[in-house]
Amino acid sequence: MSPTGNRADWADDEDFDDPSVLPPQEVIANKDGTKTVISYRYNDDNKKVKVTRRIKTTMVRENVNPHVAERRKWEKFGLEKGHAAGPSFDTTSVGENIVFRPSVNWKANAKEAEKEGGEKGSMKDQLKDKKVKCRICSGEHFTARCPFKDTMAPVEEGTAGAGAGAEAEEDVGGLGAGKSSYVPPHMRKGGAAGGEKMGGRFEKDDLATLRVTNVSELAEENELRDLFERFGRVTRVFLARDRETQRAKGFAFISYADRSDAALACEKVDGFGYRHLILRVEFAKRST
Amino acid sequence: MRPILLSGHERSLTQIKFNSDGDLLFSVSKDKIVCVWWSANGERLGTYSGHQGAVWTVDVSPNTTLLATGSADNTVRLWNVKTGECVKVWEFPTAVKRVAFSPDGARLLAVTEKRMGFNGTIAVLDINYGENLSSQATEPSLTIVCEESKATVAGWSFLSKYIIAGHEDGSVSQYDPKSGEQLENVQIHEFDAQITDIQFAPDRLSFITASKDKSAKLLSSRNLAILKTYVSDTPLNTASVTPKKDFVILGGGQAAMDVTTTSARQGKFEARFYHKIFEDEVGRVRGHFGPLNTIDVHPAGTAYASGGEDGYVRIHHFDKAYFDFMYEVEREQMRK
Repeated sequence: MSPTGNRADWADDEDFDDPSVLPPQEVIANKDGTKTVISYRYNDDNKKVKVTRRIKTTMVRENVNPHVAERRKWEKFGLEKGHAAGPSFDTTSVGENIVFRPSVNWKANAKEAEKEGGEKGSMKDQLKDKKVKCRICSGEHFTARCPFKDTMAPVEEGTAGAGAGAEAEEDVGGLGAGKSSYVPPHMRKGGAAGGEKMGGRFEKDDLATLRVTNVSELAEENELRDLFERFGRVTRVFLARDRETQRAKGFAFISYADRSDAALACEKVDGFGYRHLILRVEFAKRST
Repeated sequence: MRPILLSGHERSLTQIKFNSDGDLLFSVSKDKIVCVWWSANGERLGTYSGHQGAVWTVDVSPNTTLLATGSADNTVRLWNVKTGECVKVWEFPTAVKRVAFSPDGARLLAVTEKRMGFNGTIAVLDINYGENLSSQATEPSLTIVCEESKATVAGWSFLSKYIIAGHEDGSVSQYDPKSGEQLENVQIHEFDAQITDIQFAPDRLSFITASKDKSAKLLSSRNLAILKTYVSDTPLNTASVTPKKDFVILGGGQAAMDVTTTSARQGKFEARFYHKIFEDEVGRVRGHFGPLNTIDVHPAGTAYASGGEDGYVRIHHFDKAYFDFMYEVEREQMRK
């Protein structure tokens, strides 16, 4: 019989006639109370290996209360009568592991954990009192849906007060607006020149759009159109309105077909009194 | 630690109790069955059947030969722990809400409900441990009538010197077990906040009360002075003092009838661990799906079990972190 066969089949373990059989295990008692066990086996390369192990035996004596030991012999009774020893599966199970670590400032820790849990808990709760705010015109729509997306630059904080809201939105989204090391391609050095730009047809309009601020709440779109049309052909009038109250938000965009008309309007209407307020008109910033 | 879940009951647990060596755990519930379990592995040793109503309370004699149970069928039954036989039945006019053996096991007290024109009482029964366990006195040796506010829970102080009872109105009183005279009555919890549990410290010099007013108090058995107060945020059903470590464990939760209207997170179905001396909460153990009705601590302080409204008993064997935990001042004390 080959050594491999000897290893593979445990049923043939007691085959003593085989010349290739391993020498029997030797046990030597040492002076210090330990035992040395020498055994032989074949390793994976069919080579004989001698294994020497030193074993120390320690006796562990457990004292059991005699009453408890006596009770251990009790027979089962009642509904359990006649059942085999050991817990039965229909009445006893083991629960999942619980980490229980008492701590001095448990209360403070628990509160923190709860807070964190709550924040993670529901995106809906988190964004409950956040409002969608366009970064271009501060209207209540996503920036991407803004009608002036391609013609306007985002309004600065000072003029429309949109900055704070927009920033908060970004933080929630986890985009890391502030210190992120990522620089979008168009912001990279020289990127503005090299990058392609979609919607080239708005390029012209870009230069002929006015931003009008300090507009009365009661302003109407057609009134504005009347006011600005006298300087040239107006292609678009946008008056930002509050979604709920439908009142003007205090700024508007006026697009002209011709930039020279826009320049004239800008010059004439800036400082014009309209509905008790003095309008401020300037060229809208180029959208990025 | 991995809790052992015992699901031998079909209805909510009312009381659980370790025997004096801590190897057996007795549990009773509203489903009329009394169960006994090996606390080490959760194996059920047997059941005691005979009650006709919800079983409210259980206690085991100090030598673990007799088991007493009190039930809504107006009886106190005495059982042979080993065989499961019922050896004695005492009939009362109303339901029995609490039974407790005296520290020497010679007497048993039974707290009866106030109902149907009967006043709440505390009856003291003499227990005989002869050859024939069924030869017990038929009449109580003493009956204390609670005229003002019914007693809800009761127990024996050190050396059976006093009977301490907790009342429905939030007061605790001390009775002389020989004459039945009321020695003291102190309003320790908010008025009309029922005392739901009384459990004694191992030396029985002090005891802890749990109340519906969301607090538990540690009192001296001798003069009913309030030693410590543990404030929680939920009505408490049970409280226990741990030996070996200076902790108390409180259990409670939203009342069963309010559970469906509150989320599990708000239900507060956790066992709360407080430091016995510093009164600080040091941790919680969750697991039950309903309020905790009863908690008992292993007499060696190595484990505790809790029974809940959800019908489960959970045995928790503490692991190393529990025994290692110490306040800085305690650690300093140890070094000295």
